[in-house]
Amino acid sequence: MAMSSNGLIDRRDPQLAEESAVVLATLVSATGSTSKKVGAKMIVGQSGRLLGGVTIGGCVDAQVIEAADALVANGGRRLLSISLDDDEAWEIGLTCGGTVNVMLDRAEPARAGDALVSAHAFAADLLAQGNAAVVVTPVEGAQAALVVSDTDARSGSLGTTALDDAAALLAVDVLRQGARVETIDDRQYFFDRLAPQTTLVIVGAGQIAMSLTRFARELEMHTIVVDGRERYATRERFPDADELRVGMPSEIVASIAPTKGVAVTLVAHDYKYELPILRRLLREPVGYIGMLGSKKRGAAMRDMLRDEGFTDDELARIHTPIGLDLGGKSAAEVALSILAEVVSIRSGKLGTRA
Amino acid sequence: MTAFRTAVLEHFRHPRNRGPVDNATVSIDGANPLCGDRIRIQLRIERDAIAAAGFTADACALCTAAASVLTEHVRGMTTGEATALDAAWINSALGGEPPHGREKCAQLPLDTLRRAVASSSGVHE
Repeated sequence: MAMSSNGLIDRRDPQLAEESAVVLATLVSATGSTSKKVGAKMIVGQSGRLLGGVTIGGCVDAQVIEAADALVANGGRRLLSISLDDDEAWEIGLTCGGTVNVMLDRAEPARAGDALVSAHAFAADLLAQGNAAVVVTPVEGAQAALVVSDTDARSGSLGTTALDDAAALLAVDVLRQGARVETIDDRQYFFDRLAPQTTLVIVGAGQIAMSLTRFARELEMHTIVVDGRERYATRERFPDADELRVGMPSEIVASIAPTKGVAVTLVAHDYKYELPILRRLLREPVGYIGMLGSKKRGAAMRDMLRDEGFTDDELARIHTPIGLDLGGKSAAEVALSILAEVVSIRSGKLGTRA
Repeated sequence: MTAFRTAVLEHFRHPRNRGPVDNATVSIDGANPLCGDRIRIQLRIERDAIAAAGFTADACALCTAAASVLTEHVRGMTTGEATALDAAWINSALGGEPPHGREKCAQLPLDTLRRAVASSSGVHE
């Protein structure tokens, strides 16, 4: 695939290496509609060649390809405004017609000094480490790019230190709220929020786990089902799981790089797996630890671990009872509540009514 | 609480010899496929004597306690003496018999230890 699901230009991709220039098209704003698709991207190569499996969608793609073709040949960057009627808007997931603005940014994957390509490389590394990133680019005018991570790491520049500082401040809010256009010194910039793919580690290959893998696939999470019992963790039971791993569960979990993009769900309801895993995880920077069980059971487990030297702050990382309280009882409903909590934690938002 | 339960909980909460053995000469994994207990027994065998024994386990309290008392007891034994230990010895060490249906939990460390010794001496069961 020429680009990740985040739509980043990856200069290591052989398909991109064949292109002397590409255009990254990013939907930066939509008027007259909800802005659900802001941040949607596609990469267009020479002769309108589409690179990667991601497109903005509907009738927008054709107009973007046409405009991108000219930029690939002649250079430059531009903002493309496209008016949509109601039917066309539905095609790309907007609720009603209006105007969408697509930023077209020409990049040269093989050129070391290309600001956009360098920014994407930096962002890709951040995502691989489980960090979120904001890529800031001017909506129009000369190419520039600044990347700000959720750990305050920075790369690139918008031109001046003052501009970069102002953008970094706004990026903090973008990390929480999502991609959008912001104005700094009368100039518009697009703040693109990139989040790492969530790796959902599911310990205990029971019925809840089966529902978790089904739903997580829809949410584009990478799922790893872990169990000590071979007859449970089978491909027949888990056709949607990305990985099935059987062995000593605590060692399997410990072998997964503990980044913020990792969510560990303990759904075996069995202390023999939970305690060894928690001992290994509570001091690791995983993004989420949830454990099936009642408040009473959770308190008993915390007491045991506290006796072993874990602090209250460390123990407070265990989400138990697991999931948001949606009132459901079935395995599928519990799985839904778990994923709702994982998404909520990842987004930094409480699960309240929209 | 019975002496058996007290001993099991004490060894589960404060297991002896939990963790890898330095310079182990043999390491064998064991599992109860139905309940999912998983254990690894590691030994350092020097001149047919067990110089060190340890275990790693994602296992229930009973299995963990059995591994704890077993690894504590076999240190210094010859491999022959260690493999001669049986379920009755485990029960005696823990002060009672496991509840009905849980015998395999207590037996797993012993079986794994025997396989470790056999593996070390080139005899494979």
